[in-house]
Amino acid sequence: MTLDSTIRPVPYDPALEPGLAAFLELVEGIPLRADTILANRAHFATIIPPIEAQVAGRAVTAEHRVIPGPYGAPDVEITIVRPQRASAEPAQDAPGVLSIHGGGQVLGTRFFGTGELIDLAEQYGAVGVAVEYRLSPEHPGTAAGEDCYAALLWFAANAAELGVDPARIIVSGASAGGGLSAAVALMARDRGGPVLAGQLLNCPMLDDRNETVSSRQYDGIGAWDRNNNDTAWDAILGSDRFTDRVSPYSAPARAAALSGLPPAYIEVGAAEVFRDESIAYALRIWAEGGQAELHVWSGAYHGFSGFSPDAIVSRAALDARDSWLRRTLRLPASPSVA
Amino acid sequence: MTIAAESSTVTRVPFDPEIAPVLDAMAQNQQPALSRETLHLSREGADTLFPSAAEVIGDLPIDAADLVIPGPEGAPDLEITVLTPRGHDATRAALPALYNIHGGGMIVGHRSWETARLVELVAELGVIAVNVEYRLAPEHPFPAGVEDCYAGIAWLSEHAAELGVDQDRIVVMGGSAGGGFSAAVALMARDRRGPAIAGQLLLCPMIDNTNTTVSSHQYAGIGTWTREANLLAWECVLGEELAYSTEAPAYAAPTRAADLSGLPPAFVEVGAAEPFRDEDVEYASRIWAVGGEAELHVWSGGFHGFDMYAPGSELTRAALASRFSWLRRILGR
Repeated sequence: MTLDSTIRPVPYDPALEPGLAAFLELVEGIPLRADTILANRAHFATIIPPIEAQVAGRAVTAEHRVIPGPYGAPDVEITIVRPQRASAEPAQDAPGVLSIHGGGQVLGTRFFGTGELIDLAEQYGAVGVAVEYRLSPEHPGTAAGEDCYAALLWFAANAAELGVDPARIIVSGASAGGGLSAAVALMARDRGGPVLAGQLLNCPMLDDRNETVSSRQYDGIGAWDRNNNDTAWDAILGSDRFTDRVSPYSAPARAAALSGLPPAYIEVGAAEVFRDESIAYALRIWAEGGQAELHVWSGAYHGFSGFSPDAIVSRAALDARDSWLRRTLRLPASPSVA
Repeated sequence: MTIAAESSTVTRVPFDPEIAPVLDAMAQNQQPALSRETLHLSREGADTLFPSAAEVIGDLPIDAADLVIPGPEGAPDLEITVLTPRGHDATRAALPALYNIHGGGMIVGHRSWETARLVELVAELGVIAVNVEYRLAPEHPFPAGVEDCYAGIAWLSEHAAELGVDQDRIVVMGGSAGGGFSAAVALMARDRRGPAIAGQLLLCPMIDNTNTTVSSHQYAGIGTWTREANLLAWECVLGEELAYSTEAPAYAAPTRAADLSGLPPAFVEVGAAEPFRDEDVEYASRIWAVGGEAELHVWSGGFHGFDMYAPGSELTRAALASRFSWLRRILGR
C-alpha cells in the first residue's frame, strides 16, 4: 500500500476526536487483517456488554429464541426486545425493528445491535428482533444476508403474536449491518417477500470494490479504514471479489436496479470510508424515483454517534434519525411508551 | 445551445405526504408561469408583499435598522437591513454575524421575504444578521448581482468593529439563488483574498446552469421551482450564449469552479424531490474530495424551499434543528 500524498482527508470535528481515539483504543487495538480476524472477533465479543447488563434498569424485556434458518442451513438465534408493559395485555400494532449488527460481516454478535432496540422500545414502544447471522470467512458469500432474511420472514409471519403491525416493520443496522439491511430490502423486493416500511442504513458497508475517493482518504487513519474494509470484503467474497459474480445480497451497490425499495434513511460521516458509496446509493435510489433521506455529518468518523453520543453533531444525528422514524412509522411527535 | 426535451421515462421521487398538500393548494391557485413577459408581475410590490421587519419582530428583543452602504466600484449603493439582539453593546462585545442573500432565481425576490428566517436565527442563536438587497437579472445580468453580494459582505467585514461583529465569525447564507450567491461569494473571497468567511450555509442552492442532472429533469412542470423556471433564470443571468454552457463563469454558477479547495466549511441542505438535489449533492462531494469540510442533508420528499412553504411540518422542524446544530458547531469554534 503506497500513501498518495495528493489525497487529503476531510478533517475531523474537534469535538469527535476524543471519541475516535477511544474507539481506536477499545475496538481496533489489533489491525484487522486476514490472520487476525479470529483474534479480533474474540476481542470484540469482550467489549459488547452482555444483554442482561444492557436491559438492567431499562423498561424492556429480552427473550432469546431459535428460529428456522434459510433452507438447508442451520437454525438462527434471535433476541426479541419488547417494551415492559404494566398490563398483561400484549402490545398491539407496535412498530417492528429488525436489527442487524455491524462488524464487517466478520465480527460481532447480535448484542452489538440490541442497544438501538432497547432505545426504540422505550421511546416508541417498538418491538425489536436482533439476529445472530453467520460470519465470514467461515460462512462467506450470502450466508449472512440469508440468515438476516430468514429472521425477517419469521418476524413478519409472527407479527401478530409479537403485537407488531406487519405494515410497520423496518430493517436497521450500522456498518455491515447497514449493508445487510440494504441486502434484506433487496431480497424482500426480489422474492416478493414481506413489505418493509423502511430501511435505516447507518454508515452502511455497501460496495466491495473500495474504489471511491473516501475509501482512499481513510487509508491507515480513522475507524474502519480502507485496510479493515479490504480484509472484510476479501473474507466475505474470496476470489469472487471485484468480479461480476458478487451478489447484491452481499454488496448491495452491485444491484442492477434500486427501484421498488422501501424508503431509505442513509446517514454517514463526512470523514470516513463509506461516505461516497453511501451517497452513491442514495443518488441511485432517487434517480429511479425512490424515497431516500441522506445525512452526511461534517467531520464525523465511522460510527461517531455511538461512540461520541454527547457531541453536538451526534445529538443532531440522533435527532434527524428520530425525525425520520416518526415520519416513516407515523409515530407521535412526543414519544411515549405504549 | 439547446436543452434536450424531458424524457418520458423519468420517475419522480414522491413528495413527503405531510407537505404535499401545499403543492396541491398552489396548483388550485395557478399563477401565470414565470416568463420574461410575466417577470414584472412578480416584481410589482415585491418590497411590500411581506410584512415589515418591525411586524415580523413583534415583541422579540431584536432591533432592525435599514442602512445604505456603498455598492461595487462604479455601481449603485446597496440597501441592507441589520437585525441585532436588543441591548447589544458594540463597544463591549463582538457577536457572530449571518450575512443573508435572498432567493428568487436571481430574477425576482426581495430581502424582506426572508426577514422571518433571519429573525428566528437571531432569536435562537443571539447573532447579528445582515440582509442584503442586490440587483436582479435580466436588467442587471451577471456579474451585477453577485458583485453586489460580495461588496456587502466585504463592507460588513470592514465595519465589523463598529457593528459589534466578530470579524472571524461571519457566515454567508442563503436559499436557492441566495445559496448560489453564497457559494459564489465564498469562492470570490478565497480567490481575491477578501473577507474572512467562517462558513457558508447553502439552502437548496442554485449552483449549476447546465440543467443536465437527473433531478433537473425529474421536476419539470412541477414543484415550487420548476425546470422551466430554472432555464429562464439562467438565460436571464447569463444571456443566451452562456445560459446552459459549461463555459459559464464560476461566480455565476459555482459548480463551474475548477477547484473547491480552501473554502470555508459548507452546510448544504436540499430536498430529495426537487431540481437542485443532484447538483447540491455533487457540490458537497467535490468539497470532500479535496479534503474540505461540508455537511449535507437531503430531506426525504422535500420540495424546493419546503421550509418556507410548510413551516409547521415535521420535515421543516427537523431541517431547522440540523441547521441550528451546524451553526452552533461553526460559531462555537
